Amino acid sequence: MTAVDTVTFEVASAALQSAAEEMGSVLKRSSYSPIIRDMDDFSCALFTAEGDLVAQADYIPAQLGAMSLVVQAILRRWRDRVSEGDAFICNHPYQGAMHLPDVNIVTPIFFGGELIAWAGTAAHHIDVGGVNPGSEGPELGELYGEGVVIPPIRLSIAGEENEDLVALFSENFRDPLSTLSDLRAQRASCHLGAERVHELVALYGVDELLEVMQRMLVSVETTVGRLLDGMADGAGEAEGCLDDDGRDGAPTRIHARVEKRGGRLSIDLSGCDPQTAGAMNIPWASARAALVYAVRTVIAPGVSANDGLLRVLDITAPEGTVVNPLPPAAVSIRHNSCQRLADTLIRAMYGIWPELAVASSQVSFFSFNIGSTHPRTGAPSVMADVVGGGTGATALGDGLDGVDTYMANVGVMPTEVVETNYNVRVRRTEFRPGSQGRGAFNGGLGLVREYEVLEHPQHATFYAEQTDARFAPAGAAGGEAALPTTITVIGPDGAVIDQPRKTSRVLQPGTIVRVETGGGGGYGDPAERSEELRAWDEREGRFASPGRNSERPAHAAAAAEPTERN
Amino acid sequence: MHGHVAPQQNRNTATGTGSGETTKEPNMTAPQWTISIDAGGTFTDAIARSSAGVIREAKVASTPEDPSLGLRNAVAALEQQGVLLPDVALVCHGTTVATNATLTGALGRAALVTTAGFRDVLGYRQQNRPDVYSLMPRRPAELIPRVLRFEIDQRHDSAGRELAPVDREQLDEIIAELREAKPEAIAVSFLFSYLNDAHEREVGDALRGAFPGTPVTLSSEVAREFREYPRTATTAINAALRPIVEAYLGRAGAALAASGVGSPLLVMQSNGGCVPAERAGADAHRLVLSGPAGGVAGLAALAESLDEPNLISLDMGGTSTDVCLLRGGAIPFTTVQEVQDHTLLAPTVDIHTIGAGGGSIARIDRAGSLKVGPASAKAVPGPACYGRGGVEPTISDAHVVLGTLGAGELAGGLVIDRDLAEAAVRRIAEPLSMSVEEGAEAILAIGLAHMVRAVRKVSVERGLDAREFSLVPFGGAGPLHAGLILRHMALKQAIIPLRPGLFAADGLLVAGLKLDSSQTVLAEADPERIPEISAWFDATAADASEQLLRDGVGEDRVVFAASADCRYRGQGFELNIPLDGWDDAELLRLPERFHAMHEERYGHSNAAEPVEIVTVRLTTTGEIDRTRERVAPVPRRDLTPEAVVGHRDVLLPGYGRTRTAVIERSALAAGTEFEGPAIIQQMDATSVILPEQRVRVASTLDLIVTEPTRDEADR
Repeated sequence: MTAVDTVTFEVASAALQSAAEEMGSVLKRSSYSPIIRDMDDFSCALFTAEGDLVAQADYIPAQLGAMSLVVQAILRRWRDRVSEGDAFICNHPYQGAMHLPDVNIVTPIFFGGELIAWAGTAAHHIDVGGVNPGSEGPELGELYGEGVVIPPIRLSIAGEENEDLVALFSENFRDPLSTLSDLRAQRASCHLGAERVHELVALYGVDELLEVMQRMLVSVETTVGRLLDGMADGAGEAEGCLDDDGRDGAPTRIHARVEKRGGRLSIDLSGCDPQTAGAMNIPWASARAALVYAVRTVIAPGVSANDGLLRVLDITAPEGTVVNPLPPAAVSIRHNSCQRLADTLIRAMYGIWPELAVASSQVSFFSFNIGSTHPRTGAPSVMADVVGGGTGATALGDGLDGVDTYMANVGVMPTEVVETNYNVRVRRTEFRPGSQGRGAFNGGLGLVREYEVLEHPQHATFYAEQTDARFAPAGAAGGEAALPTTITVIGPDGAVIDQPRKTSRVLQPGTIVRVETGGGGGYGDPAERSEELRAWDEREGRFASPGRNSERPAHAAAAAEPTERN
Repeated sequence: MHGHVAPQQNRNTATGTGSGETTKEPNMTAPQWTISIDAGGTFTDAIARSSAGVIREAKVASTPEDPSLGLRNAVAALEQQGVLLPDVALVCHGTTVATNATLTGALGRAALVTTAGFRDVLGYRQQNRPDVYSLMPRRPAELIPRVLRFEIDQRHDSAGRELAPVDREQLDEIIAELREAKPEAIAVSFLFSYLNDAHEREVGDALRGAFPGTPVTLSSEVAREFREYPRTATTAINAALRPIVEAYLGRAGAALAASGVGSPLLVMQSNGGCVPAERAGADAHRLVLSGPAGGVAGLAALAESLDEPNLISLDMGGTSTDVCLLRGGAIPFTTVQEVQDHTLLAPTVDIHTIGAGGGSIARIDRAGSLKVGPASAKAVPGPACYGRGGVEPTISDAHVVLGTLGAGELAGGLVIDRDLAEAAVRRIAEPLSMSVEEGAEAILAIGLAHMVRAVRKVSVERGLDAREFSLVPFGGAGPLHAGLILRHMALKQAIIPLRPGLFAADGLLVAGLKLDSSQTVLAEADPERIPEISAWFDATAADASEQLLRDGVGEDRVVFAASADCRYRGQGFELNIPLDGWDDAELLRLPERFHAMHEERYGHSNAAEPVEIVTVRLTTTGEIDRTRERVAPVPRRDLTPEAVVGHRDVLLPGYGRTRTAVIERSALAAGTEFEGPAIIQQMDATSVILPEQRVRVASTLDLIVTEPTRDEADR
């Protein structure tokens, strides 16, 4: 590599990267839905003309690892008919997308009449129709009930918005204003990406820029290959289970076997259970995203993320399994399964390289969707919230408290945003002391959040994984597992109704839904935890809450208190 | 309507740029001397200006263990140059005390009192991880430990109505526990206090009564804004900084008094305006960018003095570079920033910072690519060429190898060693099969790419045409890259200020006093709500002018800038819309302005949708001193032979070894014009001019550097 090449490559690839980041900031700041603007459940990237992802803004790995398949699905359907000014939309889980609420908007980038690249965004929309508000339902068995299925079609045709499609969406989505505005924000973000690519073409020339894009892929492929080559050869396997099949059935087995030889890594998922009756299935785009995520975090965390990484992997994932289901199997709760798959893959790799091991992070991914109304305007809207938990401890220290984990990085909805936008009250959001796995270093803490339904009956869908202690976040190197997650529904009279794992139901006003999420696993022998850290645990109330918290009435009693309403 | 409403072009300018004739009136109580002191990480810079136009400069080593010693030394150095300290009327001070405390986590021991069930919001923050691909993340810094976070039963709803009163019994218990815990400061943050602060005030009064010596900060006082995490974090940052900032400002005041300075002390805030030291502590969270804000205030003054309203600063020190874009003479602001893992809500000059400075280290990564920064050799050991133990190659070492930095003495008594620089650069050149010179060129090219990217980020990437902007390089290492950046980016010109190394200190002097007020409204922009909003502006403006008058600002020097943060109902982020005053007609125009700005900024708008006013803001500026001269035409003259102090061979990127004149800046008279290549040296900086670039010395002695023809430079 000559000095000039090094410099041009460095500069132009950094500019593509910053263009992707800029796309993200436009989308975040001009979108309507709290799940995008406050919780960052979206992603942005730039692709080659053939649909290889070259640069991304690091938001949600679960979406990023999948988006290139959408571009490829568009090409399959439209190849010679793509024109400048088109904007494609797609949420079809069997045509490159993930689950229906994650809607992709992708625009082609032309130069001199030639298709040279694509700009794409994926964002979680609060509702795309279907049986349940929020377009998710663990109990659903077929895609058709989950929402409106959109194959790769054109939201804009040669610069004009497709009126028919907008009319169709307006009649099928529960909050069409927010959803359509968010789709337009996605399209604006893609336009910005295209503009930046054009500026780079003007600066470096089209052939040079395309060469830079190809080299970005090769550079990641080479780097990951070299890193693999420098590591010990070997094989490892791991198993992880989902609590059920989405319909309160038996646990679903996720299994991964990995083998590393030279500069290549093979991943075999044929030990996974067949596809599930409920909506726990992982469409292939999402499973592929999990592979990319797991390999990158274990082998090459410092390497930039693009599809070059896939080139060093040999993958086996039989059709008809939970990680590669056949249509029309339902997939809306796929993210929970996907997190479980990422955790299992990571632990399988630790079988080859135990020196890299860290304890498991929680993968409960508690989600709370509710068809509510705006307290000021009374307009119907759908709230979608996610509550995180602890990450696994490492050889270097304790895990993180109260965060989203692995392939997701979604924020918790601020209490003031919840109460301003929905007829829902958040009674508390705080750490869950004692939820962490013990070790020389302890896992991070889980969270406790309580929602109270106000004013009128509201249709809610909420669910979590790892409610079964057998499948709770695992420790590493002798560390202990963390607590499982618990969901409790308390009626307006203060009595506990039930403790569901996954449910869709109508909640009466005054009903409280409480989630207590799992912590992270511990690392190392708990007996080896230092005196200093033990003193800190004690002082900070990390196992029990001294001082004010202990004086607060116990949970059930708190729920029995009369609730103020205005 | 109010009499002092600022014309819109004055919005957000700390210096009151272009605010008209009133500022030109001689002030009968004009100070004999004003002093400005910028205490940075390595040096403490000071400038004194007399009303007779005399200027004195001093540069002394900073004393990080107690920066007030450096202050004292700087003042003593000015005294030695004939500044009569008892005649000093005003001292302006830029400080990194708050910056360093947040960066190193050496914060004060604060306690938090919050709504029951929400004390851990400082722990889970927004639930996001900074790096999604790391399985070995660093735990975020903690503002207030859990043991000092107290909860109390009380609650308001999202309309600000009381759901439950403050539990007085619990309050008594908390006070008893605080007596034991003895925190240095107390923060109070309740849900929805931006709508109704009654409970915060009730608890605040009780705490202030119980702990008269302990500062108590209410979230409704420091960050009256929507969303509990950023508001609570800001309140906590304020409380944790207050003890440190107040103690320091006390020492600084005492040090100045001991030196014989009897004048008031003003402190630069992150918003580019000053505030009297006795009030700075209460707003300690607003000092986090005090240092760089001086440079930005200086930039605004330069814009006025040169009549060049469109400027991009490149403030380059040892470890980082701050870039700021001034458009139409107005300083850009942001209201949110990230400070050590936490969100801080405070009006702040909008600076883009990159990890590339003179001390940025060059390394070869695992893929075999050459990377420069963000690791830095810092002040210790410093670049290899300083001979203080540094061995890794830095941007400064690359300059020494190329000859753009000559061997000899630098400010602060450091001697440059060329052999050490070469040895360092060889560490990356050999593995890449390059000569030492090629290696140095590669380091500089990549470092330059970072700088160009930063300049593009604030200009081109925000949809602005960089050709309308002039680059202003300052700080120790900025002018070294003036010619190179001008060559690599289509800019109007580069302006190298008279004292690049002292520019930030000089900026402190021209910044006015400034007060920011804001109020979350969360109302649709409909005629019914307008009177209430204009009443808030009226009342706030009256309070602010009264405060500035008490601070000694003349009534005719108070300037207001009003604005409103708006969004479509349903959106989560706002756009700040400047207002030309706040009469009803102006406020009613807000939706229309919002649609236009949304279209400009984000590429789409929705004129049929209702617009919500989220927060209204009023900035009140009081001008204190205007001594900068205006640029004037000056006859062209040639470079005098005396100004050329020598020649040396320099490897100029793109030109190879080039015989280059070395010019002494202090010998350059106004009006002088010459062509590059040239190295211009002065006490505090070295400027590099490429072949064919033209240099003109303005009447203000600032250097104006231009490319021969813009068309060629575009590529």
